[in-house]
Amino acid sequence: MADESNQLRVRLVTPERILFEHAATAVELPAENGYMEVLFGHAPLVALLGAGDVIVHCAPETDSDADKCGPTGESRYNVSWGFVEVLPGRVTILASDALKPEEIDVQRAQQQRERGEKMWKEAGESEEAYTEALHVISEAEAKISSATEVAKPH
Amino acid sequence: MANVLDLRRRIRSVKNTRQITKAMKMVSAAKLRRAQERALAARPYARMIVSVLESLRRRVDLYDEKTGNLCNALFLTRPEKRVLLIVISGDKGFAGAFNANILKTAYQFINGNPDREIDIEAVGRKGRDQLRRRYPTAAYTDQTDENGQTHKVRSPRKGPVEVTGDHPGLLVKLETSRVLELAHNVISRYTHEEIDAAYIVYNEFKSVIAQRLVVERLLPLIDLENPQITGAVEPSAEEKERQAEAALSAGIDIEAADTAEAEEEAKKFGTAEVDYIYEQPAEELFAGLLPQYIFSVLFHAMTESVAAEHAARMTAMDSATNNASDMIDDLTLHMNRVRQAAITKEIIEIVSGAAAL
Repeated sequence: MADESNQLRVRLVTPERILFEHAATAVELPAENGYMEVLFGHAPLVALLGAGDVIVHCAPETDSDADKCGPTGESRYNVSWGFVEVLPGRVTILASDALKPEEIDVQRAQQQRERGEKMWKEAGESEEAYTEALHVISEAEAKISSATEVAKPH
Repeated sequence: MANVLDLRRRIRSVKNTRQITKAMKMVSAAKLRRAQERALAARPYARMIVSVLESLRRRVDLYDEKTGNLCNALFLTRPEKRVLLIVISGDKGFAGAFNANILKTAYQFINGNPDREIDIEAVGRKGRDQLRRRYPTAAYTDQTDENGQTHKVRSPRKGPVEVTGDHPGLLVKLETSRVLELAHNVISRYTHEEIDAAYIVYNEFKSVIAQRLVVERLLPLIDLENPQITGAVEPSAEEKERQAEAALSAGIDIEAADTAEAEEEAKKFGTAEVDYIYEQPAEELFAGLLPQYIFSVLFHAMTESVAAEHAARMTAMDSATNNASDMIDDLTLHMNRVRQAAITKEIIEIVSGAAAL
């Protein structure tokens, strides 16, 4: 069934606009229960996304959109919550919020983490409050880690 | 009778007004263009959410096989005794009958359901101000439960209709996080049975000539593919013509941009005729998807309403500019007549003076 290209078409869609559309050889996704990597020919799948980084390994394409993929040939977006639909040749990511790592405000993320920790402490017996606090914390931590990872020299 | 000097002054002042209205029209046109782009860019996401929900609903039983529970409370319908009405109006005036029309539709809805208790969430400053004057604001008191936690408890109603909240400045920047917050708020009220249904009143805006005022049902979810429009007011042909005229003079496309292809593409999301692996159980998927769906409906309503507001302002300002031009013409004619009359009178005086010699 292999197409001559063996490439995935990856789209990242946010409520505001289509952020990214490109051919890729593989995508790493932060599904709610752990990271997964999708290659060409993956079985159809629908999954919830957690907070984390989407990493698209770009396929060399004729049109020169180097700014999209960077010099390393991969493009990284920090997403929080959403869905992904995987088809053998197409991956569509619906993210509630997506940022480039450079756009992340680390200070704000840290404040968010503190707020989450405070919520966690005050949650008491309520399961709902715990889940919510956990959401806030994991979102903040994903943001911080993706921001620092990019800032680190390779 | 006014003398020439007075008339000249009036002409000057009308000219100034015309300049202002013209500038406002151009500003609105630019804002409209941007708002239209935003509304367009937001469409794929909304479309995809609907598609994936629809396909999920078709494939997955809404009731759990083992426990027989409904997998999400938002599908539950109850007799509509308490209704939430979200009124999306504009933040500013000078937009013709835009805000008045929205409020009129909201009042119609309220008066048409006298036996229901209605909560109002006002989005947009103009609507909020008016609704607050007309209806009492819901009051909350803090109560401490046995665990020492404080809860907000709503005080007894002052009347069948109450304003429960407003969202100042929401429309200015339209941040997704705030709209999402509102969506969560609506959902939590519904699942806690504070409300039995939710409706939104807003101005739908497909393009300059295709817009209408609608009352759309947000909750409960009955049919996802087709919006549940319970009332719609179309603008008259004359209004449409005015809108189109104003748009043309400001250089705005009358027809909506062609997005059929993108829409088709988006419709396919999550609906391919294959057996999907669902990573999470349906219950969790619904729990994650439905807030996004409610959010996207609200966001869509707001982006369209913002576009409609700018279009309405543009049209109103175009009319004002035209009226000012007409007025200047009239005044100029009048001024010339007065001046001519004064000259004629002087000549008569000179001639009759000469004849008397």
